[in-house]
Amino acid sequence: MNRLESFLFWSTLSFEIALCGFVFTRKVQRILPLFAIYTYVVLCGAIGVWLTYEYFGFYSLTSYYAYWGSLLLNAGVRSLAIAELCRYGLRAYRGIWALVWRVLAALSILLLAHAVTDAWGQPNRVAIYGTTLDRDISFASIVILAALLIFRNYYGIALEPLQRAIAVGIFLICLVDVIGNTILRSIFTGYLLAYFLSNQKTLWDALSPQFERVRDMWSTVHLFSFMISIGIWCFALRKPVPAPSENPVLLPTEVYRELSPAINMRLATFNDRLVELLKP
Amino acid sequence: MNELTIVVLLAIALSGILLWLLIPGRRSSGANASSLPSKVDDALPTAKHYAYFPQIRQALSVADSNYLRETAPPHVTKQALRERRAVARGFLKGLHEDFSNLAKLGRTIAALSPDVSREQETERLILSLKFQVLYSLVWLRLSAGNLPIEQLEHLTGLVGRLATRMDAAMAHVSALSAGQLPGSLGT
Repeated sequence: MNRLESFLFWSTLSFEIALCGFVFTRKVQRILPLFAIYTYVVLCGAIGVWLTYEYFGFYSLTSYYAYWGSLLLNAGVRSLAIAELCRYGLRAYRGIWALVWRVLAALSILLLAHAVTDAWGQPNRVAIYGTTLDRDISFASIVILAALLIFRNYYGIALEPLQRAIAVGIFLICLVDVIGNTILRSIFTGYLLAYFLSNQKTLWDALSPQFERVRDMWSTVHLFSFMISIGIWCFALRKPVPAPSENPVLLPTEVYRELSPAINMRLATFNDRLVELLKP
Repeated sequence: MNELTIVVLLAIALSGILLWLLIPGRRSSGANASSLPSKVDDALPTAKHYAYFPQIRQALSVADSNYLRETAPPHVTKQALRERRAVARGFLKGLHEDFSNLAKLGRTIAALSPDVSREQETERLILSLKFQVLYSLVWLRLSAGNLPIEQLEHLTGLVGRLATRMDAAMAHVSALSAGQLPGSLGT
């Protein structure tokens, strides 16, 4: 590892240790177990990758696979944390939750299927698969988070401060990953493609410095955004986590059954009148 | 447009939506089901602007316009008509608020219902979106001066009747949910 890589690695690891400390002391696992697991997985992944670097060497093939493997593992566990965020607080509103989870699940399946087909069509190299999958999973995460917030806003069910901070942090990571991975993929499949092809070995030495430069730049941006997100989460966890709000007491089913069609009918009449108003 | 441009534009658009939705304390466009007070009567919205229509009608009557045209100098008439349009726009805005409150009632009931219909919710969403578009068009026509103010009376009559029915509906909700909404709900 060069000096920049060492600095980024150790500072990210420090942030991750601090976050895990906060998560553990604030007992976040009681409210958001999947988010707690995500933070632990991120820390364990970083330590695992570091051990691989130490044991096999930074430029070894094993380290290369370990890096991309940990990146995709993080994206997978982060998706579970997002799913938990979707479920949290909304599940108590049984009626709309039944509606919302189906929409979010359909959206997730669609976006993940897109991610798989997108990666399938790429040249057969781990780095290109990795950037494509990571980019598409991050994009799916942003869309799911946006859909969740739109639903919550529409029905007036606000996110609690900790959950909001988690959403902001995940969103920042995903946003940087989407843009960064798109640029990285276009470079990998563009002028650096020869670096990944075994029949172009003669060009590897010439392309190696460029590959390293691109990787360093991407690592810097990616890890800085990651540290900012961890900072946001640590800030949200600086105070004890308040107890989850009590479940709402729901209205009898007849209220919705009787009033909802009546309201819709009147809203439709109102629109009809507006249309009449616009007729010449 | 290449892939990068599309992705960056999409990411920026989604970021905008997310940040807009995440800003704390922003006035929610939806019914605030999580902070519903203890009494449904206090929580559910009622139409109120339509109640001022008689005064507005008086101020914006055709007789008034004709009198102005006959007696006042052209520039005064023009200014007066412009101001009348502004008043009508303000009133239309109030009617929009009444409509939004009534739509909010639907969303609050849905949020607090143990079972909701997908068709009903989709229909309400489409109706609300359609209303936004139609309202903008009416507002534009009113601003352009080619919408007779008298036509607002029909609209107002409708909102008035709607509000009366909703008042009755709210009383019905209160009766059905009597004693079921705790004082600490969502607080």
